[in-house]
Amino acid sequence: MLIKDFGGRTMNHNFGRKTWLGALIAAAVLIGCDSVGPPAFRMNMVAAVSTDPPTSPQYQQEIADVLGALFGTPDEPFALPETGLDVSKLRQSAGPAWSDEEGYNYGLYRKHCVHCHGITGDGRGPTAQFLNPYPRDYRPGVYKFKSTFNPAKPTHDDLHTVLINGIPGTAMPSFSLLPGSEVESLVEYVKYLSFRGQMETKLIAFVYDELGEEVAEDESGNEIRDEDGNLVINRPALDPTQNVDQRDMVLEMLAEVIEGWNEANDQIIAPEEESIPAEDRTPEEVLASVEKGRELFYGTRANCIKCHGPTGLGDGQQDDHDNWQKAHKKFLEDTALMAENIDRQAGEDDVDWDQLAEEQELLAAREGVTETLYSLRNAIPRNLRQGVYRGGRRRLDIFRRVYAGIAGSPMPATGPASPGAKGTLTEAEIWNIVDYVVTLPYEPSSQPQRVTPKYTEAIAR
Amino acid sequence: MNRKQTILLLMYIVPPVVAGCQRVEELGPVATATSVNSIRAAFASDAGGSGASTAAVATGTGWATIRGRFVFDGTPPEMQPYSANKDQATCTVGGKSPLQETLLVDSATQGVANVAIYIRKAPRVHESAEPNEDKVVFDQKVCVFLTHVFPLTIGQTISIKNSDNVGHNTNIDGKNGFNQTIPAGEAVDFKPQKEEAVPVGVVCSIHPWMRAYFLPRANGYYAVTGPDGSFEIANVPAGDELEFQVWHESAGGRGGPLVLSTAEAKQLKWNKKGRFKIKLAENEEKELDIAVPAAAFGG
Repeated sequence: MLIKDFGGRTMNHNFGRKTWLGALIAAAVLIGCDSVGPPAFRMNMVAAVSTDPPTSPQYQQEIADVLGALFGTPDEPFALPETGLDVSKLRQSAGPAWSDEEGYNYGLYRKHCVHCHGITGDGRGPTAQFLNPYPRDYRPGVYKFKSTFNPAKPTHDDLHTVLINGIPGTAMPSFSLLPGSEVESLVEYVKYLSFRGQMETKLIAFVYDELGEEVAEDESGNEIRDEDGNLVINRPALDPTQNVDQRDMVLEMLAEVIEGWNEANDQIIAPEEESIPAEDRTPEEVLASVEKGRELFYGTRANCIKCHGPTGLGDGQQDDHDNWQKAHKKFLEDTALMAENIDRQAGEDDVDWDQLAEEQELLAAREGVTETLYSLRNAIPRNLRQGVYRGGRRRLDIFRRVYAGIAGSPMPATGPASPGAKGTLTEAEIWNIVDYVVTLPYEPSSQPQRVTPKYTEAIAR
Repeated sequence: MNRKQTILLLMYIVPPVVAGCQRVEELGPVATATSVNSIRAAFASDAGGSGASTAAVATGTGWATIRGRFVFDGTPPEMQPYSANKDQATCTVGGKSPLQETLLVDSATQGVANVAIYIRKAPRVHESAEPNEDKVVFDQKVCVFLTHVFPLTIGQTISIKNSDNVGHNTNIDGKNGFNQTIPAGEAVDFKPQKEEAVPVGVVCSIHPWMRAYFLPRANGYYAVTGPDGSFEIANVPAGDELEFQVWHESAGGRGGPLVLSTAEAKQLKWNKKGRFKIKLAENEEKELDIAVPAAAFGG
């Protein structure tokens, strides 16, 4: 219609048509996207399509249904009692944003969080792709800034702290002006989105490992074909209503997820009293500790220099990625490889067209997903000269970063991996590094830290 | 409507209207209310299951051995050097980076190394395959992990060793998250707690070209092929159908289940997840010579 209208016609002749067209467009703009219905949780398609062979659309639907049964919808959250989640708090955070007559606020997640973290908590809200770093994807249940050992979940208080303090140096603001009950409600909701995301990954793995389409066989083990000569495919459904064992297994997976979160309180890193530097250290004592920290920073035991660079500017090893980006990178690379293989096979003499068509279909499914991914980013080690500490600027915060590393990032632990295990460094040594690191912002960034910082005395106070 | 108006219309109004509702992010299914309600009711009911449907049920007695070789069929690829761009004094030999190990084929025997083969669910476990507490060493030298595919049994402690004179950090993916600095010339212990269904990546963030794979399993029914492509798993349960998983780092060109469609693989009912089933007689010594066409590695 539009194209046909182009050319030849006079303005007068066209006027009525134009008005009509304008009305149509306005109507389309106004109505168009409202037809998508209430917000819905979306599937982790990278995970669903990454399995080899990928999760079929039928299984995807069944997984979505099981997740719906376990967790409800963004408007109507649900949690089984064994999750320990407080459904009334979830209800306060879920749904559209509104306030009642007494001034109580609801729909907190959509009011404060969704534009970055997305309705599913996948870190893909409308603003997400413009931010650096990207907002956290809650679905793997991995959080960087916490008080626990590297592989452990964060405690409730850890998430609470992040909401109160925000994350300096990132787009994550502080929500300290919200009433305490609202922050609590949001922490609960974030956990809920992680539970859901972790269950999703587990269900995808379960379907892949235990179910899946298989060629049907008769009793003597021969393939069965239908009248048209096509192989008959059996597809055991994921259906906890019909299969009690599946139901039990889903609940067991949920129990595993919850257990990880419940254990967090036993995994808090509490520094040994005797290693904590005294508050009344003399400048000489501080200087000696800074000196030891500097040696460790540059040495082959702590290896800080390798990534944070000889000047502490974060300009060492920059080729790596965090775990969220690694998953996407692998997905993108594999998809590119598949496309390459298909192109090459198509050019060969003896082409198995059936197989090629099958692969083409898989590739199309993957490419649909790759189109939605944001551009890849490297994990850039922190510039320690800025004095901006994402996980908090208290000495204890920095101690825990060095001790446990940063979960999901390339930053390794120097302390033990779990309670009772042996660390690479002693706690005293980690405090030495903390002493050194906090001096770094007090030197001009052009000056390599080969010498002891000048302002140690001032820092000691 | 003049030309300019039309172009403006086409440029600014039509695309959003046309594209507006097809938001690319909205992939994948959405839960259907009726299914959700019935599944939720099922979760709320008390009806207990047997709780053992996926655990293989043992009916057989005695033990058997399975061994064999994976033999490359075609022209093996040449391995390219790693791009060691850090710590080159340590990470290169005579200025040259070590060669990658993504697909190692023995020039004499055409054997394919580093194929992981293991029983998915064992109906019974012989005492020789039961979890033990032996310590195993996982070493790195010239910025290369010396064991490329490293299987172990839950209960074992890995001594992660660094035989280089530069620091490394060993970052293990999967359910047993681990990422700790390993000082030059020292070793750090790690005891994985959870089984993995397929090998998971091991990397070093300081030297990101370094790569290996870990496979913690609940029992000792696993093998990784040696340089000549051979493997042996002894004392496997006889008389029961055993399902084996076969995995290679470069399977399908991108890593994962090794899928074979050769005649012998068809006999074993080798499926698209790289699994095959076999039932062995008591004291049987099964030999499998498995030809792996270049196409199985996407080549």
